[in-house]
Amino acid sequence: MKLNSASLLCRDRVGGLIFLIFCLTYGYQTSLIPSYPGDAFAPFTARTLPWMLTSAGVLFSLLLIVMAQPEEKSDATLDFDWRLLITFILLMTAYGFGLTWVGFILATSLFLLAGFWVLGERRKSVLFGASFPFVTAFWLLLTKGLDIYLEPGYLFLSL
Amino acid sequence: MIDGILAGLYTVMLPTNLMMVVIGCFVGTFIGMLPGLGPISAIALMIPITYGLEPSSGMILMAGVYYGAVFGGSTSSILINAPGCSSTVVTAFDGYPMAQKGQAGKALALAAYSSFTGGTLSAIMLLIAAPALAKVSLSFQSTDYFALMLVGLSAVAAFAGKGQVLKAWMMTILGLILATVGIDKGIGVPRFTFGLTDLLDGFSFLLLAMATFALGETLMGILKPADTSATEQSSITDLGSMKVTKEEFKELAPVSIRSSILGFFVGVLPGAGATIAAFLSYGLERNIAPKDKREEFGKGSMRGLVAPESANNAASSGSFVPLLTLGIPGSGTTAIMLGALISYGVQPGPRLYIDNPEIFWSVIISMYVGNIVLMVLNLPLIPYISKLLAVPRTVLLPMIIFFSITGVYLVSFNTMDVFIMIAVAVIAIFLRLASFPLAPLLLGFILGGLMEENLRRSLMLSDGSLSFLWERPITLGFSLTAVLVIVAPILLTLFNKYRNRPLKMQESN
Repeated sequence: MKLNSASLLCRDRVGGLIFLIFCLTYGYQTSLIPSYPGDAFAPFTARTLPWMLTSAGVLFSLLLIVMAQPEEKSDATLDFDWRLLITFILLMTAYGFGLTWVGFILATSLFLLAGFWVLGERRKSVLFGASFPFVTAFWLLLTKGLDIYLEPGYLFLSL
Repeated sequence: MIDGILAGLYTVMLPTNLMMVVIGCFVGTFIGMLPGLGPISAIALMIPITYGLEPSSGMILMAGVYYGAVFGGSTSSILINAPGCSSTVVTAFDGYPMAQKGQAGKALALAAYSSFTGGTLSAIMLLIAAPALAKVSLSFQSTDYFALMLVGLSAVAAFAGKGQVLKAWMMTILGLILATVGIDKGIGVPRFTFGLTDLLDGFSFLLLAMATFALGETLMGILKPADTSATEQSSITDLGSMKVTKEEFKELAPVSIRSSILGFFVGVLPGAGATIAAFLSYGLERNIAPKDKREEFGKGSMRGLVAPESANNAASSGSFVPLLTLGIPGSGTTAIMLGALISYGVQPGPRLYIDNPEIFWSVIISMYVGNIVLMVLNLPLIPYISKLLAVPRTVLLPMIIFFSITGVYLVSFNTMDVFIMIAVAVIAIFLRLASFPLAPLLLGFILGGLMEENLRRSLMLSDGSLSFLWERPITLGFSLTAVLVIVAPILLTLFNKYRNRPLKMQESN
């Protein structure tokens, strides 16, 4: 097998390398677990399993780095819509903040509305029908039907 | 045993629980139909709902969802050649060509009848096997459990698929690593919490399951470009007749029975599960079919549809045997169920059979009721349910994300969980893109705590010596099996390389 930058940095090898770094960091953190007097003579401590896992993790990641085969070139990854995914991740993060600040109904309705819009939905009946009324009905089911208390948003609490 | 069965029957026949089976089957069918979303996601989405229910009702609901999802997966395999889960991939081999020939209705009916046969036979086998195994496992000690968990984890990795064994092992280790986060149960020392109080309890199992499967799979759906749905529509609107003739029935009944028995035993093996059962039965039937029938395989053979459908359903039941009797899940789906049971405060294992017979038996009986529901209610409704496949993904994807996030939020009411979930889902996407299987991660995470507990006891009893692995005959048997399962794929790879070498040398000459 010829070695070039593409085969050296194939997906599996990079994955193995990241996992190796992760395991080494985990191993370092394991050494920071506080120990009690007498632990040196105890057959099992809080560090025992983490040490075993660190060793196994390092071994497997090294094996993957050594045995990794360069993948055949494929255009599949080029077709992925990364922009859409990032938009959705940002939307979900905003939804997380929204749950605290503007409350369940408004945050969820706006999240769904924006989600439909971002994915290309333009029909007003769907955009508004599947967001606000649906979420209100769901909220009623939770609060009145299942008696779950949902805290109002901080913004409304401060008013 | 009879008392237990009657208690289980009584529990299942309670109107609430019957409703759970029906709802579970319907919801499962719908979610399972959605391409990309499998039984694991379907069950993960149900967990927050089951928290408010009795443990037996919760398990019944999840078992119904499991069955429904496998059935729903078959439906989308047949109608649009997009398997909802891996266990129904084989169904598409012959189911979709049948649909293209205008026999979608017959294919769906055959799938339902085969699932029913698989479910019925496996329920009977489960009825015999589970109590017997539960009685045997009562004599198990912590050393046996530890070795058994090693078998379970190594089997899941070994069955992960060609070229994925190493990655599956890494994911299992990652799962076990994540399980060590939080306060150590033996000594009470915080581990890997970085001073964050949110991490003292460790990662939430629900959060991890939801982020890696339900949310992760949906985000993958967003990442991948939309499929054209023109062909889907034509298949959905024209299902054709659902009738199966007497001759066809006579020809297919032995196929279904054979595949069900094979499927059940494959399902019982930890790690093997419904996907392998479906592939094995398909291969077996193709090999033993008469020559003219063999040539039909892959082009719309009814045998090729009935075999995997019976097998995957029987294997789904079979996978409950190690879960209910040993507390060791054999697949990602049953691992989620184990997590849910632990959250209810119920410890699956041999004691479940004695302490909570109503849960043990009601799950087994509910599986059969689930099969009847699928057959009697879902099959006639398939033409209508399949219309749900036409719901645009522009609406469906945000809705699933909403249910995933809300599912986690409504349990903890902590928005920090939402952010952790998003982060885990993003990591899960990269792991998926790098072809790292995620089911072993979940299995490792769920078994991690139990494994450490049993390892602690074993090492304490043997005063730190690893001799506990071979001192008891049962432990030795499990240890040897684990070693065999770990070593076998490596030996096979080396053997194949050695065998192919002379061929390659000849070619180069």
